[in-house]
Amino acid sequence: MSVTVLLQLVENGLVLGAMYGLIAVGYTMVYGTIQLINFAHGEIFMLGGFGALTVYAWIPGVAHLPLFAALPLMLLGGVVVAVAAAVGAERLAYRPLRTAPRLAPLITAIGLSLALQQVVSLWYRLPGGGNAKAPVAFPSFGGKAFDLGGVLVQRADLFTVIAAAVCMAGLAWFVARTRSGRAMQATAQDPDTARLMGIDPDRMIVVAFAVGAALAAVAALTQGLRYGQISFDMGFVAGLKAFTAAVLGGIGNVRGAMLGGIVLGLAEELSSGILAHFRDTAQYGQAWADVWAFVLLILVLLLRPQGLLGERVADRA
Amino acid sequence: MSTQPANPPGPVSGTAPGSEPILQARGVTMRFGGLTAVDGVDLDVAGGEIVGLIGPNGAGKTTFFNCLTGLYPPTAGSITFRGQRLAPKPYRVAEAGISRTFQNIRLFPNMTALENVMVGRHCRTREGLLSAIGRGPRYRAAEREARQTARELLSFLDLDRHASAIARSLPYGDQRKLEIARAMASDPGLLLLDEPAAGMNPRETLALRETIFKIRQRGLSVVVIEHDMRFIFNLCDRLVVLARGRKLTEGRPDEVRADERVIATYLGTAPAAAPGTAEQEASDAR
Repeated sequence: MSVTVLLQLVENGLVLGAMYGLIAVGYTMVYGTIQLINFAHGEIFMLGGFGALTVYAWIPGVAHLPLFAALPLMLLGGVVVAVAAAVGAERLAYRPLRTAPRLAPLITAIGLSLALQQVVSLWYRLPGGGNAKAPVAFPSFGGKAFDLGGVLVQRADLFTVIAAAVCMAGLAWFVARTRSGRAMQATAQDPDTARLMGIDPDRMIVVAFAVGAALAAVAALTQGLRYGQISFDMGFVAGLKAFTAAVLGGIGNVRGAMLGGIVLGLAEELSSGILAHFRDTAQYGQAWADVWAFVLLILVLLLRPQGLLGERVADRA
Repeated sequence: MSTQPANPPGPVSGTAPGSEPILQARGVTMRFGGLTAVDGVDLDVAGGEIVGLIGPNGAGKTTFFNCLTGLYPPTAGSITFRGQRLAPKPYRVAEAGISRTFQNIRLFPNMTALENVMVGRHCRTREGLLSAIGRGPRYRAAEREARQTARELLSFLDLDRHASAIARSLPYGDQRKLEIARAMASDPGLLLLDEPAAGMNPRETLALRETIFKIRQRGLSVVVIEHDMRFIFNLCDRLVVLARGRKLTEGRPDEVRADERVIATYLGTAPAAAPGTAEQEASDAR
């Protein structure tokens, strides 16, 4: 196995991990503020993809623009749809259950996740009458991949990594340097005291949902660009992986979510890629990628239950 | 410390107590199931007044604070602040101008001292989310203002050197002072201090008393819960004694000190010693 192949696996892993991390932030922020695992977050991600596609397919002229010019519009569309869906879900589904036992909102989240998938599958229409029961085509960058000494970097890969870096830098700035960001940290660290400081917890919860949804929409855009298609059920596996990444990094910790995503992406690509490379173990390669991802999760939970960057109880940030 | 006069002249306040009270609590009652923790307590606090709230453990002092700040919506009774009836919502109470500290320190442990105080200023700052994202002039002005006020308060409480230290790493006494700084950041008219001297040594306690006088000079009224009797008798204009959720008596420190019911409440039977002495001896023995 050559170094080039290994580096290619690392490249794939980083790109995949950057995307997982973007989605994982949504799980971790919502958990940090209301201790809810929002299992519908994968569908928020999916809706972000369809929002972007809608702008591309339905707004006249956008499809004829060069892709780099259409991207900001698509991103905006995806973010708007994802944020609206997440904030609406919080308002209509989760807020009425705020004082209910914790199992109730959890089951609600699972139900919402199924409902959103079916809504898109049944009712999404493309111009010309196509529907979304099967994967639908997503615009992708043409052009050749960049060749860095044998390691191929697709244009969409580059876009993914840059988008993730920009988003995370923006998020770090938001949390540490703005009034709303500090209020969110405060709510996560001690909700009662935060209320006494004049912080309206409902608003902070909405902000957490909205920020998570916006990053998920960015992730959906990168996934569409890389695979050239999106589908109504793309949120299931992506959401599960991102949730794993959030737990891996320490749920409730924003930096942990990104780290967890990258660790998970690397582990998945490296384990499956290396195993696939040798004849004796080839059968445990690509097809077992998900298995290795979850084995990693189990190992981390056994050795470090609070996650890589997590702190023990009540010390979330 | 030991040379404190038994009956101090009493801090004379610039803003005359006896003027229109800024806080009027009427018949505040808090029941938890069958337990009545606070039972029909009235409390008036005048502008610039320092009121002590004392009573044995379990008398309902902290519960009363929780009612005042909206953490517990009272079962019955009303709380009026600056002529307006308060909704029992903590963030509304903060906006109206009441803020507090906690018996067991509740700083935001993983934020810096400066950030803690800036969060305390939350309800006095406005910053649109969009302006923040665009880093617009309003965002920058609000940030600068909040940071300046926070720094000013840190130096008021002599905490400047800790500005960028993580709150949970501060020495205990400084954490207590940081809670006061954070509570003052919302420009309150009334400050509620829940056992501010707990765990402080005599020197720190003395400094704390001076600090509270300085806080009053800034125009704030203060209500203090405290078990250190020497501290509270030398600090307050007026004392309110709670026992089993009810107001037993209230009055000037020398009146309360002489009240036999107070002595009986603290010690079970009427003893020879005044309540202040008894508590002081108890805390000296610790």
